[in-house]
Amino acid sequence: MIVLHGTWKPPSEIQERGNFFLWGESSTSQQIKRKSRQATPRPHPFQASQDEISRIITSFNSGDIKKKMLPDRTFILLPSYPDAPQASPDLIQEDEFDNGMEKVVLSTWQLDGLSLPPEEAVALLTSLSGFWTGIDGFAIGSDFRFWSKVSKFAMELLSKQHFVPGIVASENKGQKFARWQYVLNDQDDLMRMSMLAGGMPPICRSLAQNKLSHPEAYLSDFLNTAVDGSIRRWMPLSELSSKTTGLSSAWLESLSTGAPIKTHANGLKSLSEGIRSWSQPIREIQTSGFRTCFRLEAPLPEADDSWSLRYFLQAADDPSLLVPAGDVWKESGDSLQFLTRKFDHPQEKLLADLGKASKLFIPIEDSLNSATPVVAHLDTKHAYAFLKEAAPLLSESGFGVLIPPWWNKGAAKLGIKLNVKPKPEPKTGRGIFTFDSIVNYNWQLALGGEAISEEEFRHLSSLKEPLVRIRGQWVELKKDEIDTAIKFFKSKNSGEMKLGEAMRLGMVHGESQTGLPITGFEAQGKLSSLFDQLSGKKKIKEQQQPESFEGELRPYQVKGFSWLAFLRQYGIGACLADDMGLGKTIQLLALLLKEKEDGNVGPVLLICPTSVVGNWQREAKKFAPSLRVLVHHGLSRKKKEFLDEVMNYDLVISTYALTYRDEDILEKVEWNGVVLDEAQNIKNSSTKQSQAVRRIKADYRVALTGTPVENRLSELWSIMEFLNPGYLGSAAGFRRAFALPIERYNDKDAGMQLRSFIAPFVLRRLKTDSTIIKDLPDKIELKEHCNLTKEQATLYEAVVNDMLRKINETEGIERKGAILSALVRLKQVCNHPAQFLDDGSSLPDRSGKLNRITEMLEEVLAEGDSALIFTQFARMGNMLKTHFQKVFGQEVMFLHGGVNQKQRDQMVMRFSEKKGPRIFILSLKAGGVGLNLTRANHVFHFDRWWNPAVENQATDRAFRIGQTKNVQVHKFICDGTLEDRIDEMIESKKELAENIIGTGEGWLTEMTTEQLKDLFTLRREAVMNE
Amino acid sequence: MSWRDDFWGGYTASKPIKVEGGIKVKSKRGSIGDTWWSKRWVSVLESFGWSNRLERGRRYARGGQVIGFKLTPGKVTASVQGSTPKPYSVLIEVKSFSEAEWEKAIEEMSQKAVFAAKLLAGEMPQNIEEAFKSAGMSLFPVSSKDIKTDCSCPDSANPCKHIAAVYYILAEEFDRDPFMLFNMRGRTKEEITFSLRKKRVGDEKLQEPQEVKVHIHEEVPLSADGFWDGGELESFSVNITPPDVPAAIIKRLGTPQFWDSKEDFNKKMEKYYKEISKKAIETAYGDGKKKK
Repeated sequence: MIVLHGTWKPPSEIQERGNFFLWGESSTSQQIKRKSRQATPRPHPFQASQDEISRIITSFNSGDIKKKMLPDRTFILLPSYPDAPQASPDLIQEDEFDNGMEKVVLSTWQLDGLSLPPEEAVALLTSLSGFWTGIDGFAIGSDFRFWSKVSKFAMELLSKQHFVPGIVASENKGQKFARWQYVLNDQDDLMRMSMLAGGMPPICRSLAQNKLSHPEAYLSDFLNTAVDGSIRRWMPLSELSSKTTGLSSAWLESLSTGAPIKTHANGLKSLSEGIRSWSQPIREIQTSGFRTCFRLEAPLPEADDSWSLRYFLQAADDPSLLVPAGDVWKESGDSLQFLTRKFDHPQEKLLADLGKASKLFIPIEDSLNSATPVVAHLDTKHAYAFLKEAAPLLSESGFGVLIPPWWNKGAAKLGIKLNVKPKPEPKTGRGIFTFDSIVNYNWQLALGGEAISEEEFRHLSSLKEPLVRIRGQWVELKKDEIDTAIKFFKSKNSGEMKLGEAMRLGMVHGESQTGLPITGFEAQGKLSSLFDQLSGKKKIKEQQQPESFEGELRPYQVKGFSWLAFLRQYGIGACLADDMGLGKTIQLLALLLKEKEDGNVGPVLLICPTSVVGNWQREAKKFAPSLRVLVHHGLSRKKKEFLDEVMNYDLVISTYALTYRDEDILEKVEWNGVVLDEAQNIKNSSTKQSQAVRRIKADYRVALTGTPVENRLSELWSIMEFLNPGYLGSAAGFRRAFALPIERYNDKDAGMQLRSFIAPFVLRRLKTDSTIIKDLPDKIELKEHCNLTKEQATLYEAVVNDMLRKINETEGIERKGAILSALVRLKQVCNHPAQFLDDGSSLPDRSGKLNRITEMLEEVLAEGDSALIFTQFARMGNMLKTHFQKVFGQEVMFLHGGVNQKQRDQMVMRFSEKKGPRIFILSLKAGGVGLNLTRANHVFHFDRWWNPAVENQATDRAFRIGQTKNVQVHKFICDGTLEDRIDEMIESKKELAENIIGTGEGWLTEMTTEQLKDLFTLRREAVMNE
Repeated sequence: MSWRDDFWGGYTASKPIKVEGGIKVKSKRGSIGDTWWSKRWVSVLESFGWSNRLERGRRYARGGQVIGFKLTPGKVTASVQGSTPKPYSVLIEVKSFSEAEWEKAIEEMSQKAVFAAKLLAGEMPQNIEEAFKSAGMSLFPVSSKDIKTDCSCPDSANPCKHIAAVYYILAEEFDRDPFMLFNMRGRTKEEITFSLRKKRVGDEKLQEPQEVKVHIHEEVPLSADGFWDGGELESFSVNITPPDVPAAIIKRLGTPQFWDSKEDFNKKMEKYYKEISKKAIETAYGDGKKKK
């Protein structure tokens, strides 16, 4: 595995550009120990090769970046032991060598890496998703991530045009260079700059310790280089330079080429002075820690026309910190202390700013006729002028501006309101609406969200005021909008549309075809309660648990099931995204039972991954025995007869792969509903499988997933497209409007909009929610039934046959030996063919258990949880460790019998740390006693011990005093195998179970050959067939 | 220097020695001084009957013949390069106001915040002269007797072209910072802002002005502790959009003084800024690959 690092390497001379230095740590690199002791600094002993770095970079940026990377050597300070640097926390080392006792000091190491020109680096770093996690054997270091954030910030400054041409001087050669420099233009820029400076991991500046030891200076240097480099990369020379001579041309030429400014000494002097005084107003804002702020206050409801514009000093990095001008005028000293801040020369600063602002907004100048002005009084016309013109101008000039919140919201403007109501005779058979129902609509003119009549509007517009107060609320009335509104009254404003379209318009509040924005939405009649419930204004009616449901739903499960039933009623697709272990399966089974009880006939198609087919079958049998279940899966599945028989079933369980392969028959069925389990399987919306899934026609659709969909946006789109086609728009449009802003730039507004957008269709509850916790027992035991792969089945049968042959031929000790040895080998086969064969062969897709546990761990990690995994076999433990590290790109620990006490303590300690490894594998014997591992809230028993006492003792590692979370215990069982059979025995025969506790596995050897045959023989129907 | 030299338009043997790096006024032709108060300064001087003599100094000022220049309260010293190798020393003293007069002027100015506000914003308030008048004073000199001058050149005329050149340099100095006019009358900017503040607060026990401390980024030494971890940046968020007002910074700053091209600076830059915005957005939403 490789951890990719990269950091800014500033130039040693101003005329050079500096570059972004890329290097890596490798877990497989040769450890060069003590070899080159005499050479100082020594080469970094486990650095990745330049080829490896190049391969990783080109893997996420295929363009021509390869040619831009050049081999480079540099020196870096790293926390080190005497013989080697400490590995970064992201590196998973194959040999965990024990350096626990040695002191860590910073020492210098030589690195051979690649260097990238700054503008190329910025583009590369910008394209990195914020959600990126390690895959395919490489991870990203904290330094690389940090610079990625900085690069995105640079891209914002560029897009917002927060930059200015400046001039820099070389220290020793007397040359000067015109350079583009970033400008921190507003409080938001300043705040984020200080966030970045405070958040810079020290590794980021370990290349340049002696040059720039201030994080802020270092950051600023990179930002300036990034801004300058990007602009010159984008703009051809011809755009800027001109052919005439003179200072301007010399300056522009340097600005576009980066070469020194070619002019005589006097010219240079007047240029640099000229630039400095020209850009002075911008620098002032950047250097002073506070600024003047103007706050507009609307008149009180009863007062008529008196607006106030109040003056404050405002901390630049904390806009909420406001010192009223009145307090400033009282401060006689050179500085003013306010809360934790110190403002230098507050009176003079405030005065100077008022002086400048008075040129931009005349009422401010008028207020300065007082000796100590604190406010400008405005009438409505002036207030409007302030909102409209002065506020943006002042804000762009670096002043703080606070305006009433209604101004920026759609509520303050003229818009239209969409009213929908049901058509007189609903067309659906069941007398309720669906997404496709036709509804009546009409548009109404609205001011500030309030519908107004034509008469009322004419009265308001006759006032000839740009800001009018309607029902206590101030609203802008623009001239051109008045015209649009008059046209609006003349046009046809009603008709029919699909309910789905109405929902989209109502939730999105976009632009309407009338030219006026949609600012309101109201549903009438029966529709109103639907919309109120969808938007969460009104509670969804709680259903009774279906009578035929075996068992008892927990309160939150009743809510979930009621929610599913509610959306189902309207044919609206629902995504149930509860955390793993909260019982999505039984909530859905409850829905199916309700459907059946309500007389909604027709089969429901359930599509799931192969690994959980068995589980579904069992759960249905246990909780909903009245459902007639057909498994359409495996080689023996019926095809011709399928269509004849399918209507006799309530639930058809099939798999994703078959949805495409058997599309010809599946599409012919009139499904009552279609359900996707582990719906993240359709995340790639363009695969044939996903398309086939979307083509299936049904009255209602449900998706179940345990992954946090709101963070996985392509997955979210794909699932929503399945549930409610068209609701989120096209994939490309969605990517541009939501996926990229959220994933790359952590855009809060886009995130919030999307969340409110999907909220009616997604129900996600976390096991940590306070309302859920009280419904949950402290410990939940769950059995995970898996299937054997064909390979496993073949091996399994071979072992059984071999054993049966042997026990027929032998007796006594030998017979017992044959049985016990077969038992071990069968467990190995159930675990993984590679464990049984011990041939070091590949791991993925050969074991039902491994597939399932991998899927489950992905959810565990996505939910931010930690897990303990127990196995009896050290070899299996090692295989799991290697496999998980590769799949998840993070460290996995394995505690086995060969680990000494000290290492053991270290592992336990690391597991308890917040940033420590989150998956901990323990061999059942080694992990037996004396460990406290309460960080874990999932315990997996990968194979079974058949001794509940031993298993419980292991489980109690996590379930100890100090555990504050609910713990889920997952026990893996291969269907149709002896694991399955023994589990049944333990469950059904208490007496025998007690025997087992007493005697371990010895009782097996006392069984007759017939009994053994029955116990061991594989039930073929449980084998995974694909 | 005799009138004949002037007759020959300065192209005689006594042509002034060229100066590298002298102080040049920025206007190339016409009057010197951008603001109403520097124009007023020049016109006050002209009103003393000095127009012709000032004219000669203007050429000197444009040619950068003023080598050095210092304005201290009530007094200007300058060194001007003439035709002899050794530059001439110029001294200009404008009559300072007395303590009592200043007290009156400050009292007057403290009545309205607009005076301090405009001055600190780099502008001489329009009604400053009225304010001085109510105090029975005049900010600008009233007669040539208010100004005493001396120049080491042999020219006995006053003002000689060296002194006149300095008058123009002063005019631009006033443009740059209107407080310099007060300085010329005997009070520094610091003294005036301080006395005004005193009036505003109404506190006699005011601290004396202090040196302003310059804020320096704190040095953070590298340490092995927390070497790989940075501060909390989970909430760091970026918003890629074009600006509300295109090229606002350029609009705000205007054309730099050194701009000597015929092209419209603002137009050129605005076009350029827009293009950069576009490219930044393309890159930000691209997939990292360069489009052909």
